[in-house]
Amino acid sequence: MQDQLAELVARAESELPVLASRPDFEAAKARYVGPKGDLTVLMKQMGSVPKEERPAMGKLINETKTRLQSLLDDTLARLEAAELAAQLGPAVDPTLPSPDPLPGTRHPLTQVREELCSILRKVGFNVVEGPEVETEYYCFDALNTPPTHPARDPQDTFYFPATASFTNVDKKVPEEKYLLRTHTSSVQIRTMLKGEPPIRIVSPGRVYRRDTVDATHSANFHQLEGLYIDRNVTVADLKALLDYVLKSLLGSETKVRFRPHYFGYTEPSFEVDLSARHLPKVNKEWVEIMGCGMVDPAVFDDVGYDSSVWSGYAFGMGIERIAMMIYGIDDIRYFYQNDLRFLRQFC
Amino acid sequence: MKISRNWLQDYVDLADLTDEQISEAITFLGFEVEGIETTGAPALENVVVGEVLTREQHPNADRLSICDVSVGEANGGTKRIVCGAQNYKVGDRVPVALVGAVLPGDFKIKPSKIRGEASEGMMCSGKELNVGDDHAGLLILTDRPEVGTPINEALPPGDVVFDIEITPNRPDCQCHLGVARELAAWFRRELVYPPADLPAAASARPDLLKALKVEAPEDCPVYTATAVAGVAVRPSPEWMQQRLAAVGVRPINNLVDIGNYVMLEYGQPMHAFDASKLADQTIVVRHAHEGEMIVTLDEKERQLTPDMLMIADAEKSVVVAGIMGGENSGVSDDTTDLVLEVAAFRRFSVRATSRKLGLSSDSSYRFERGIDVHGLPEATRRALALTVDLAGGQVCGETLRVGSDVPWEREVELSPAWVRSRLGFDVSDDDQRAALEALDLLIIHENEAEDGSPLWTVRIPSWRSDLDRPIDLVEEILRMHGTATIPERIVTGPGLLVEDDPVAEYNRKAGTLLVGHSLNESVSYTLRTGKDAAAWGGDVAEPPLGLDNPFVEDQSHLRPSLMGGLLDMLHLNQARGNAMHGLFETGRVFIPSDKGVQECAAVGFVIPENTAAAWTKREPADFYTAKRIVETLAKHAGVDLSRQLHLPKDKGVALGWQEGQHTLQGNMAFGWTACYGLLDLARLKELGVEGKVLGGFFAILPERLGKTGKRSRFQPFSSHPAALRDVALVVDENEPAGNVTKALAKQAKSAAKGFEAEAIELFDVYQGEGLPDGKKSLAYSLRFRAGDRTLRDEEVNKAFTAILEGIARKTAYTVRQ
Repeated sequence: MQDQLAELVARAESELPVLASRPDFEAAKARYVGPKGDLTVLMKQMGSVPKEERPAMGKLINETKTRLQSLLDDTLARLEAAELAAQLGPAVDPTLPSPDPLPGTRHPLTQVREELCSILRKVGFNVVEGPEVETEYYCFDALNTPPTHPARDPQDTFYFPATASFTNVDKKVPEEKYLLRTHTSSVQIRTMLKGEPPIRIVSPGRVYRRDTVDATHSANFHQLEGLYIDRNVTVADLKALLDYVLKSLLGSETKVRFRPHYFGYTEPSFEVDLSARHLPKVNKEWVEIMGCGMVDPAVFDDVGYDSSVWSGYAFGMGIERIAMMIYGIDDIRYFYQNDLRFLRQFC
Repeated sequence: MKISRNWLQDYVDLADLTDEQISEAITFLGFEVEGIETTGAPALENVVVGEVLTREQHPNADRLSICDVSVGEANGGTKRIVCGAQNYKVGDRVPVALVGAVLPGDFKIKPSKIRGEASEGMMCSGKELNVGDDHAGLLILTDRPEVGTPINEALPPGDVVFDIEITPNRPDCQCHLGVARELAAWFRRELVYPPADLPAAASARPDLLKALKVEAPEDCPVYTATAVAGVAVRPSPEWMQQRLAAVGVRPINNLVDIGNYVMLEYGQPMHAFDASKLADQTIVVRHAHEGEMIVTLDEKERQLTPDMLMIADAEKSVVVAGIMGGENSGVSDDTTDLVLEVAAFRRFSVRATSRKLGLSSDSSYRFERGIDVHGLPEATRRALALTVDLAGGQVCGETLRVGSDVPWEREVELSPAWVRSRLGFDVSDDDQRAALEALDLLIIHENEAEDGSPLWTVRIPSWRSDLDRPIDLVEEILRMHGTATIPERIVTGPGLLVEDDPVAEYNRKAGTLLVGHSLNESVSYTLRTGKDAAAWGGDVAEPPLGLDNPFVEDQSHLRPSLMGGLLDMLHLNQARGNAMHGLFETGRVFIPSDKGVQECAAVGFVIPENTAAAWTKREPADFYTAKRIVETLAKHAGVDLSRQLHLPKDKGVALGWQEGQHTLQGNMAFGWTACYGLLDLARLKELGVEGKVLGGFFAILPERLGKTGKRSRFQPFSSHPAALRDVALVVDENEPAGNVTKALAKQAKSAAKGFEAEAIELFDVYQGEGLPDGKKSLAYSLRFRAGDRTLRDEEVNKAFTAILEGIARKTAYTVRQ
């Protein structure tokens, strides 16, 4: 019996490692350890073993059983691994390019706009939107720009014929004309008329000037304007905000200076210059970047805010201009051509 | 506006300042310096007056000469110089740049050999010394200065001209005196007014100037005219010519030049008539007659209209008021007696006429911006004094004047404490006072406010009519104090707890979605051609999207869709060989309807057929790709496309899409519209776009967005297993799958009692062998589930049978066996 057990193990050791399929394995398993298997048969012969040999023989049988089980386990594991491997193809070549499309991209103007909005959001400004087709009241009258002002001239502003009708853009007075907004300040007026101070808004959006298209001018372009109205808003607050915004956007080494200027709806008014030689293609000390000022009391009077109580500041910048500075783009028309080789540079 | 540094020096002493210091001062006063130009010879070393002693032909070059030039003992006596100019002769005196000189443009003079002949310097043209444009020949010094004299002593002094942008609120700075006044204030120096000593007038000469009538006082608040007899027309003196030339005004003769000079000095335009050409010695300020014509000084005949203000004599118009004189009355070389006009015209009248005639001038530019009516007598006196001085003659009689002579008076109350509260930083009372006084804004009364703080009454001078309110003086104080003194602070301010606008939020979500679909965001112009507007805009031939005043023909209409722009950009990229997956844009569109145009927020995308070879294949995008994207775009806007199939359609929005290969949903009357599928192949061909193009477009009224704030509620779901049954229905080939699904769902819902038909999923569409012609088979998987138990086969089978029976009885569909 001892020999039989040894022979059984030897047979299993030679047979099991070469089994190639699961049915073969199941058959072999039955032959060795199944209810009618060889080991089972041998175990049943224990009764005929002399009593004094039984403990040694029992031990031997157990050892054989353990050994067979281990061989079977190994074989099963080997077959399962082979089955899984059969589900896969050959090994991949990781250096082949993915045939899937490249990632999509956001337009650089969107990226700059969103970055500015996010910077302003941190200090409490929320984004407001308004119609691009506007009326003379919201675009000019309410902004202290009298009918005789050159900015309103049809040479500079796009107007629609008197018959035009835009059903979801409300007119203040029926006889005023529709036009394409020349700045997003109209959104500020709409916000002021709709709400109550304090107000802290940013209005990014598309604006229109009747202008020759060239490397720095476009028939439409994008602006981002901010407005803050509260009690006791001062010139120093305005400077602090723009320092924060421009340094956040362009880096802390950026220097900002105010120059007195003139705008109809702010008093005092300033143009803002940047010193940012670390940016590409900035080759002079001071570069004009935006306009700003303290909201003119006449604008408050016009929207019915008490100008002895409320004060505020407003600022506005061209998104194209900022994007051109940040990325070193020298022609505004690239933004509107949308050549893929351009769009993919800014992701 | 060009401002000469030499000229400024007449009114304020800036001699110790560099050009850069002056430029910076102008900048911080609030005027942008757009350029600084140096005219005349700069300070030059080793450039002296020389005399040509001999001139011989160069042996090796036809066009060159060899000269001996005397440059004075101190400079080495006589130099041998090779010269290419032809305009000089022996004995002429010319500028000579000696070895070691550096000419403008960093041109260094060294000993050299020219075609084999040594040359010890260079004789110079005017242009080489920056004193003129003449490059052809040498600058011949006709007044023969001493040989050896340093050239700067022999040439007129150079000048520096600042080109500065005057903001529209500061018409008072459209002249040298105005800018000098600002600089005097900035540097806290004295302002010296020009002399205007005028000899006593002779008696009046009605034969030169008899009468003055203003028939249109609404457009001409003040008109003055003065006669001057016995003038001699000749060139102006050198200094006046140089100043005019420096600021870009061509000198003509003394009379014309004086007018221009005083305009550039005081900002007051004026006009000189030849008295002999005035019919009946009368000046009439009136509007043009219907059909009247005038030939202006630029020799063009102008058609006048009755809204245009004219200066006329007894018979005819002689000047387009404030803009340009007529040929029929101006001064000429023969003029001996003149009439000088100094007047004020209404800004908007001048501007309207100027625009209408397409004619503008230095004069009209100033009138359009406004002049100081109260400074008119001073400018007149200055012009007359210069006339007498430079052209001789005598002022005859009093100046005739028509118009208001109400003296200027304006005062503004100002609290220095309030100024500080506007600025947000400390500027002392004394500093504020000093700032105001530097600008001639004098504090004429000092009172006390209720709280005991000072309250000043500030007098505003007539040339500063832009200053009207206390806030205007805050700006003046800050300007004088310097904007560089605004302190650095950190941002403060309360949070206002408001969300961003729904349109902005929507565009962000839409952009994120489409970028996730590998699309590239693009940005196109809103203005497009009328043809494009009609092609995408609707069934009207002339969509009401046109501008009244387009600037260029191909940007005349608002876009009714984003698709036209996207296809243009696709075409550009195809033409340039740029492979891409697709493009998208978010932005405003303008959708016409019967009632008018609605401005909408919109998003659109295009996905061209992918023709690029690849080493392994991918499933191409198809109609249903676009469908899923548009469904998601709509969902972000709070619109469920699956529930909106039966709304009436906006036909216009579907223009441009391929028949049978797209679907249109929604209606602008409901506030939104959606279209997706293949774009019209014929149109693509017309646009030059290659291959098929899949697209999607969704537009919604901005006011519809942001009404989607409902928060989702958790729905419990069963933990018991589902039971599945499959069924295939044979239907007419034209039957939309949506109808079949709906019918099946209805049957399933009524058949499943005590449990739920959880899902009806279409998994196969088949047409062909085994089916009758004109039929197709739709195969569905039905999933049943109960919330509280595992379903038994019998109850599921019973329900399934009921469904099949229901289909057979209630629909035209048959169950495929």
